[in-house]
Amino acid sequence: MLRLMLSVWLIVLSQDALAARPEVVVRLKDHLFHPAKVYVPANKKVKLIIINEDDDPEEFDSFALNREKVVFGQAKANLFIGPLPPGRYPFFGQYHPTTAQGEVIVLPPGEEVPDAH
Amino acid sequence: MRLRLSLFLYVALLFNMQPSVAEPSDGVVDRVYHPYILPFERELEWRFMSRQNEDGNELLQRLAFGHALSETVIAKFYAVGSRDEQHDDFGLEGYEFELRWMMTEQGKYWADFGTLLEVEKYHNEKRWEVTTGLVMEKEIGQTSLTVNTLLVYEWGDVPDQELKTQLRVKYRYRWMPLLQPAVELYTGDDFVGIGPAFMGIKRFDSRRQLKWELGFIAAIDSVSKDHSLRFSLEYEF
Repeated sequence: MLRLMLSVWLIVLSQDALAARPEVVVRLKDHLFHPAKVYVPANKKVKLIIINEDDDPEEFDSFALNREKVVFGQAKANLFIGPLPPGRYPFFGQYHPTTAQGEVIVLPPGEEVPDAH
Repeated sequence: MRLRLSLFLYVALLFNMQPSVAEPSDGVVDRVYHPYILPFERELEWRFMSRQNEDGNELLQRLAFGHALSETVIAKFYAVGSRDEQHDDFGLEGYEFELRWMMTEQGKYWADFGTLLEVEKYHNEKRWEVTTGLVMEKEIGQTSLTVNTLLVYEWGDVPDQELKTQLRVKYRYRWMPLLQPAVELYTGDDFVGIGPAFMGIKRFDSRRQLKWELGFIAAIDSVSKDHSLRFSLEYEF
């Protein structure tokens, strides 16, 4: 039974690992997120690559996204979010909550990312 | 479809692990572990469990200190105090060492997995207990399903040294940080109990926060009274 359980688990893990998913890079510099608005498609699992260019560690925290992740100083961390319905999901840096703030904006299907300029 | 099938298979396998032993259900109603660990995590914990049945009131309290050893492993040391139904003599019952390992990155796969290892030595007794098992959490929209499947083995001065199984399940609605209602199910040692639970988290500043949990679990496999109140406070700093 244990063998069967492990087999099922490994199959699921390998299938998930093979699935292609969108990636978005978010940088932390001077305790600010760049970009502060992160646009992602609805109903898809998305990989956020958080690059901390500060020397201090930061904790990415979001109750709406149900995620907590420490990113060490001068280091990179991956965060997997979704699939999510369209909406706004705020996040912040727990160690610098007054400056490090942002939100993930999940776009409805067919909607384009607004032009930043 | 694949997800639903996997979840169904997993749940079916879990329920196939139901215990068949007839022992007192000490420690079955405890807490449902989550698989997540953060580096720098340091915590103090107070855990309280009061069980009322026909034999009387059984009280169990734990004080613990935990420290993350890495990004994925945390160690915790507990002092366990208890009072049994007959003697009303609250005192040190034993010491416990716990290791939890976060096996998968949160959100990367269809569910998140971790493992648990607990070793308990009873105070002034040649009696040991080891608990190990799989900790799983699946995010379903704004809710989370957490499942602990555990194997428990006691040896030393114990009447029988058989391997027992426990299943702990929590289905939680992530309503707001401070208040998250849930339903909890516990099985093991010929006991099946279910009941409401609540948990929450209060942040004080960038690194300090308090987590609380409260649950009231009633046995559903017994005609007589058997219910447990559990409460825990966890201060992270």
